[in-house]
Amino acid sequence: MPFDPRPLPHHVVISSDLRAAREIEERLLKIVSGLGYSQECAFAIRLALEEALVNAHKHGNRCDPGRKITISYDLDERRAIFRVRDEGPGFEPVRVPDPTLPDRLSLPTGRGIMLMRSYLDDLAYNDKGNEVQLIKERRSCPREHRPAS
Amino acid sequence: MSSRTSTGVLKIEVEQRGGATIARLIGSANMVSANHLQEQLLSLVEGRPQRLVLDLSGLDFISSVGLGGIIAAHVRCRHHGGSIVLAAPTPEILALLQVTNLTRLFPVRDSVDAALADLTH
Repeated sequence: MPFDPRPLPHHVVISSDLRAAREIEERLLKIVSGLGYSQECAFAIRLALEEALVNAHKHGNRCDPGRKITISYDLDERRAIFRVRDEGPGFEPVRVPDPTLPDRLSLPTGRGIMLMRSYLDDLAYNDKGNEVQLIKERRSCPREHRPAS
Repeated sequence: MSSRTSTGVLKIEVEQRGGATIARLIGSANMVSANHLQEQLLSLVEGRPQRLVLDLSGLDFISSVGLGGIIAAHVRCRHHGGSIVLAAPTPEILALLQVTNLTRLFPVRDSVDAALADLTH
């Protein structure tokens, strides 16, 4: 699915700071949990959000706390959509090498995008490469359950 | 011998047992705590253990940054002639190790006892 530039209903802007990123991640995960997503689904969303936020901070904003990260989201019982935008120059995701190749296994970095692709139903970047869209479909999660009513 | 260090979300308990150094990771190795994990593991590796067992039974989350910390310790450990074994990962963490192909880099055992048993064979 290509990157959809239409705005999502909710957004928050934070300083490029890992503790601030961690706080917003926790807030969003509480919403996801409240919607009754399974543990496996919540793990996948947590991992993907974490990778997107760390990439925005480290690679996009170069760890500059004067820059911002914008997180927008649309969460309901069917799917979770997030977008994470940084203030960097962007990059070309296709140029990131496969970290699962034998000669790259011992490298400590370079797994974030691969993990997002593995745990999400869809991952897309805007043309500039400084905003990533994460989509997790609830139906794709095993051991799905609905909260008791 | 045992020691314990922690951040708000990740605690690391270290003991010597069965000829190995065992580090039990408890909590989450996330974007905030992963640096602490790497620092502690590299510090342990500087003691040049022949076998470092990471007990993952209490680890509920790890991101790529946390994995990077374990890999950095692995590289340093091998440089000193030692090795790292991963023990008792939760199903979610085991799946993460498999999808990243890191099960080809690290031996993974069902329990700490199984990891220690390797030492005697």
